[in-house]
Amino acid sequence: MAFFLETLLGGLMSGMLYSLVALGFVLIFKASGVFNFAQGAMVLFAALAMARFSEWIPGWLGTENLFVANLLAFIVSVVVMFVVAWLIERLALRYLVNQDGATLLMATLGIAYVLDGIGQTIFGSDIYKIDVGMPKEPVMMLESVFEGGILINKEDFIAALIAALLVISLSIFFQKTATGRALRAVADDHQAAQSIGIPLDRIWVIVWCVAGITALVAGIIWGSKLGVQFSLSTIALRALPVVILGGLTSVPGAIIGGLIIGVGEKLSEVYLGPFVGGGIEIWFAYMLALVFLLFRPQGLFGEKIIDRV
Amino acid sequence: MSGRKIGEVILDLRNISLSFGGVKALQDISFNVLEHEIRAIIGPNGAGKSSMLNVINGVYRPQEGDIILRGEHHANMDSYGAAKAGLARTFQNIALFKGMSVLDNIMTGRNLKMKANMLQQAFWLGPAQREELEHRAKVEEIIDFLEIQHIRKTPVGRLPYGLQKRVDLARALAMEPQILLLDEPMAGMNVEEKQDMCRFILDVNDQFGTTVVLIEHDMGVVMDISDRVVVLDYGKKIGDGSPDEVRANPDVISAYLGASH
Repeated sequence: MAFFLETLLGGLMSGMLYSLVALGFVLIFKASGVFNFAQGAMVLFAALAMARFSEWIPGWLGTENLFVANLLAFIVSVVVMFVVAWLIERLALRYLVNQDGATLLMATLGIAYVLDGIGQTIFGSDIYKIDVGMPKEPVMMLESVFEGGILINKEDFIAALIAALLVISLSIFFQKTATGRALRAVADDHQAAQSIGIPLDRIWVIVWCVAGITALVAGIIWGSKLGVQFSLSTIALRALPVVILGGLTSVPGAIIGGLIIGVGEKLSEVYLGPFVGGGIEIWFAYMLALVFLLFRPQGLFGEKIIDRV
Repeated sequence: MSGRKIGEVILDLRNISLSFGGVKALQDISFNVLEHEIRAIIGPNGAGKSSMLNVINGVYRPQEGDIILRGEHHANMDSYGAAKAGLARTFQNIALFKGMSVLDNIMTGRNLKMKANMLQQAFWLGPAQREELEHRAKVEEIIDFLEIQHIRKTPVGRLPYGLQKRVDLARALAMEPQILLLDEPMAGMNVEEKQDMCRFILDVNDQFGTTVVLIEHDMGVVMDISDRVVVLDYGKKIGDGSPDEVRANPDVISAYLGASH
């Protein structure tokens, strides 16, 4: 039982990170009908910015304080992602309003390559580390309930907590503020939104900014675990099954889909792994996505408009 | 009618032509709209009524012609620009935000009037909070006015058609427009709903002094509430004047009775 719980929690924690990246996809798709293939490149770009600025800033300011350096690097990276969002709208999306879904998709592929290239030109292409002072040692929990307690990776736990906080605050922002209302309106009907005076271009910049922030947070968390390197940009691909599972148009779907995939990966690895020789974790999510595509292509919570992709 | 005073020309459309490829949707159409009046555009199916409204609203840009709003040229505005210039509209096939509640839908209409920036909103700071409450009060007035208090929190997608049309009107009114464009506000309604809608349109015009431009397919209702009527047929203007004049116009009669063109 304790072992099962341990696996389950591990799954939930890694699932939360998938949710975060999936949320980036869903937000942009909902608001502009663009399936953003550049999300992975944005994660890499953001992580690179964070890694390099936290390295440079102590030198520039002469401070040794790790917290101050990280905080400043984070703020600068946020600004960088906002500029990226603004440039994407300004230079690409603006000219593609009302184009076919495939056209927009190709445009985001192009954006992905440009971001990859520019990111590595500015920030370098080595492997960098992000050290935000996350505790690495595991802790034992619930020792009084189970014999031996359950082992929790503190780093994963904090990462999941941060992701959850971000997801929750974004949901509140969307539900409770005027800008959030305008975003939902645009997601629902471009034409009507525009005719009541909601500026589409500004909304798109905002959505890409939010996607940029989710990319930054995901990039920091993964970067501090795995190191910041080019393979980070393929991590977004792991969120694709999440989006298929949860539905491209559903924010709750992205969250729940992420958790299901996180848990499914871990549980299947542990319990089915021995029978098929292991390695399930790598393909489990895609397999599940394939099953969903066959039987429920709109996902768990999506509307039936997946044909727009 | 009441004490409302019909004023100067507020919207002047001059020689508007619009075509889609080879299809000439509108051909050299000119008419004007006076401040505070109710101006109807009528015509049989496919006459170009909706195209006309979409031109006024900036959804379509006419290939030729000029739109003069309060003395300024506006031929190149988009629908966001139209909203900023004080034009609000409703849609023939209701374009509400289906997933959102009635209240949220109407609140979106206040978007242009909101001044607090996103940061203030995100942290629910004083200005944003105050503003939200002010706009909420205004929206409640509109809700009372249109008698939709009981469905305030209902997601719009679940409402019956007639009520959705009313919410669509409410959202447009929330913009406090100078000119209200209504695209077949009574289409698909039963007699009772039509009467309600007529009453609301007259009240809006009377109490707020809003200029109304409305499209209708069905002549009966329109003749009762309009001050002046434009008649379109096959993209051409075939009549313009008071309801009585239009009713007596032989071209209009033949268009409606389907006589040979």
